[in-house]
Order: sequence, then structure tokens, then C-alpha cells
Amino acid sequence: MPNQENKKMHNLKAARTLFENYLNKGQKSHSFKQTEETVKIDDLNRKEALNRIYLLVDNLIEQIYQTGRPAIQLPSRASSNIIWDEENDLLLLGKQIMEKQFHTLTSVADITRLMRVLEVVAELLSEDLHATKREVFYTDVNLFGDQKNSDKSIEDIATMLYTSRNSTHVVAAPRGSCVGRLRIRDRTDIIDLEAQGSGGWTISPFLDQIEILESDAEFILVIEKNAAMMRLAEDRFWRKYPCILITAQGVGNVATRMFLKRLNKELNLPTFTLVDSDPYGHYIHSVYLRGSKRLSYESPFLATPNIKLLGVLTRDLDKYKIPKVARIRMNKQDEKRTKDLLNEDFVKKNKEWEKDLALALKLKEKAEIQAFATHGFKFLTDEYLPEKLTTGDWI
Amino acid sequence: MDIKLFYKKDGRVIQLIDKEKMNDWPVELPFLFVEYIREKKLETYEEGTVKREVENYLDEVLKEIAIPRLIKLLESEDDEEIILSLTRIEEIAKKNIDMAKPIQKYLKDLESKKNIKIVELATKISAIFIKAERKKELANKRKIMQEKEKEFLAGKISAEEYAKIRKEYLLLKE
Repeated sequence: MPNQENKKMHNLKAARTLFENYLNKGQKSHSFKQTEETVKIDDLNRKEALNRIYLLVDNLIEQIYQTGRPAIQLPSRASSNIIWDEENDLLLLGKQIMEKQFHTLTSVADITRLMRVLEVVAELLSEDLHATKREVFYTDVNLFGDQKNSDKSIEDIATMLYTSRNSTHVVAAPRGSCVGRLRIRDRTDIIDLEAQGSGGWTISPFLDQIEILESDAEFILVIEKNAAMMRLAEDRFWRKYPCILITAQGVGNVATRMFLKRLNKELNLPTFTLVDSDPYGHYIHSVYLRGSKRLSYESPFLATPNIKLLGVLTRDLDKYKIPKVARIRMNKQDEKRTKDLLNEDFVKKNKEWEKDLALALKLKEKAEIQAFATHGFKFLTDEYLPEKLTTGDWI
Repeated sequence: MDIKLFYKKDGRVIQLIDKEKMNDWPVELPFLFVEYIREKKLETYEEGTVKREVENYLDEVLKEIAIPRLIKLLESEDDEEIILSLTRIEEIAKKNIDMAKPIQKYLKDLESKKNIKIVELATKISAIFIKAERKKELANKRKIMQEKEKEFLAGKISAEEYAKIRKEYLLLKE
């Protein structure tokens, strides 16, 4: 049962100061500087993407006429070519180039799938349509065999056109949702994200049709779990503390990460993650922060490099007196994941993060966001989050 | 700049899309945006100064973007685009007449255009406005009539006076 003290308002001083700093710095704080070691990927409109396809096909035809042995060159997406760019604090694609040849028996299936997906992408762009990855798979089930193959070809196409996957009009199925103090435009509809019920607005994968219209939010909170999002939504957290809430139910999909990046960049809002206190939670935060290895070629469009890890930190377990019964013993895989994270350059560079992961390894304990319910259902929204946003207790 | 900032005295900030971005929107959308912010958001900003600043900004949107673009479209020979725009405005008017209000004063001109489809759509939208106006008037009359009914039962007004108001109301209702 929350006591009288629990009902007090926190002033969110630290989060507000951060917001003021971002507003003063403006867009400069988000500018991405291309380095020589990484490939440049462009966000293209429909016409530009189609032009790149025409140029690519012209080049192939030229090769057929001249040598009879055409090949496609594209940046390698192997792990050896994924670079942590310290200056931009992003995982980016290096300049190693691989070649896919049309005339070898080993590559014939791969190249046929690739050309089929290129044809689908050209069709989507010409007709200004979007398709999900699943739909692309169903355009030729016999050829692709498994969706993994069509998915790989989709990523290859984006890489060889030096563009983001969204620019090819191939989108992931919607998974994320958003609620809070924000008004947007979806084509000709004005959508109020405060009036979408407790489920919130499903983040559209057609982000080229979405535009931010109005907001009086002061921060964004990205929540790992739908259950925690529901808790905050039910409490109408954004009314008491002006914010925008987002969840992707786990690792953020492309649409969620891209939408988050736009909110963060256009509105200059401080952005925080609320994840479970376990290595997977820390990994989810890292994907929002600097991108994933698999989609490293489009990190500049997906990552939010100034996102802060608000919680649940390992040090919070004692600080907020999470009882032992609500903590879970780490298993072997958790320990391995924690060690892997500790070996990442971007963690080593962030001493506070490194310290918190080391503490987790030492205690061998983890806990879910819901563990705060041991102090009452409203402890998360009335105490934990506002206190941390007021004191600036984040990484 | 994608966003225009408005600062409140308590340090809070309201962020609105920059008007220049509206140049790429469908022609009726800036009107909808202005009406939406006026109807749904302005009151929530609470503070008088910031409300006035936002109002001024919305006027700028109307004067510099929305109206010139609409006039340009209506004066053009692009009947197809005019029809498309009017079709969307008709849908909006059916859902929420207040949102379509800024477009009302341009309907007369459209009704005298040569294209039958344009005239048809403009007439339909005008009819929605007339219907909404009548509904509003009827609600007002009903309120007055209920008041007078109470006064009549309390013996404060004569039967003739009550009958006159009742007749006016019934005529309007028909």
C-alpha cells in the first residue's frame, strides 16, 4: 500500500537539465560524422532508390557484354567487417568488399535469390508500395525455400544499394507501440498518442508516411517489457510526468528503433531505457544505443547514441531493497553473456556500465522490472522512476 | 529546422512542426492541423503568453501556407487535384465539421466552377455545414424552449408566449 510520501511529485531535475542542454546544443549533438574506415549508407527516397537499381542493372548488362562473367560487389557483413566507431559511438560497416559471381555453381542459388528480391524491390518502389519480409518470402516460396534466405537477400540488396532497408520499401511486421504526449501525422490522419487506449499506437513500419506534429514531452522512456509498459500506461504516467513511452517487447525492431531515433533527434528529448537487470536487458539497451551487428550498415539511421540506461541497474537491487526472494540466480548462459558484454569495446569505454556488469557477475544475481511490485504496484511509477530521473541516477 | 519551440514561464516547452514542412502536405492538411491545435491543444497549454504565441504561429500557418496553397489550387486548372482535395474535405466534414471550418468561405467560388464533380462536392460540403448549423440552432432553441416551459408551468409567462416559442421550435425541427 503506498504511503502518503509515495504520492509526492518529483521535480525530475536531472532529466530536465539534460533536456535544456540538448535544446541549447540543438541538432549538433546528434550529427553523424562519416569516418574513412566505414562505408557511407544513404537514406533514399523512392526515386533515388530506383535510380540506384537502374545504375546497378546497367552496370551488370555492361559486364555481360564486355566479359560474359558478371559479378556484384558489395560491402561484407561478416563480423570481421563490423567496426565500433569510437567517434560516433556506433557499430558500423567497414570497407571490406565481397563479390557475388553469377557464373559459379556455388553462388548460383544465392545470386538467383538476390536478383529475384531486387526485382521485387524495384516493383515495390515503382508502385510506391511496401511489403513485409514475410510477403517477400511468399513471392517465390520454391526459390527461397526458407525465409532466412529471402531475409538475407533483402539485407544484401540494401547493402549493395548502399541504403537502409526502409528505403527499399521492405519493412518488418509492426511490433512496437508508443503512447504519451505526442501528436503525429500518418498520411492525412492526425493521431493523438494520449488517446490510443492502454495498448498505445502501434508503431507503423511505413515511417516515410509519419511526421511529428506536436509534443510537450520532456523525455522518452523505452521499456523492454509490455507488462511494465501496461503498468505505466494504466497509471497514465505521462500525465504526471510529461513523457513518451515506447516498447518493442524485447530487442527493438527496425521500425521502433528508427521511430525512436526520429523522436530523439527532432524533439531533442533525453531518452532512457528501462530493462530487466540481466545481461539480455543490457544487450537490448546496447542495441538501441549503438545498433546491432547484423544491421550495422544502417546503424546511423537506427541507433540513438545519447540514450541512457536508467535501470534496472544491478546496484539498484540493494539500493531499492529488492528482497532476495525476488532476485534470480544467474545461470551459466547469463554469466557468459555478461562476460561477452564486458569484452565489448563500447562497454570497456563506459566505466560506470562496466562497473555495474562486473557487480552483476560478482553477485550472480538478476531481477525483472516487475520485482519492484514487492514494494507495491505503484512503487515503479511513484518512486523508482521519478526518483532516478530527479537524481540523474543513470548510466 | 523541423520543429518550432515555444517556451513557457515554468520552463516547459511546446514543440510544433515547422510550417515550411507543410508545403509538401496535401492541401487541406495545414487547415486540419491549425484547427486541431486550436480545438484540442491550445487550452492545455494553460499559460496566456504561450497560448498567444501559438495562436500567432497558427495564423502564420494559415496566411503563409494553408490559404495561399488552397487558393493556388482552386485557381488552377488541375480539376483532378481539386476533386481529390474536396473528397478528403468532405470526409473530414462528415467526421468533424469544426475541423473543416476554415475551408467554408471558399465553397461559394467552387460551386460556380464548370466541372460538375467539383460543383457536386462543394455543394455537398456546403450542405453538411448548413445541416450542422441547423442542428446547432435547434439545440439552442430546444434549450430556450425548455426554459420557457418551466417559466410557463410556474406561471411566469402567458400561454400565448409559450405557444409562439413552441411553434418556432417545431417549425425549425421540421
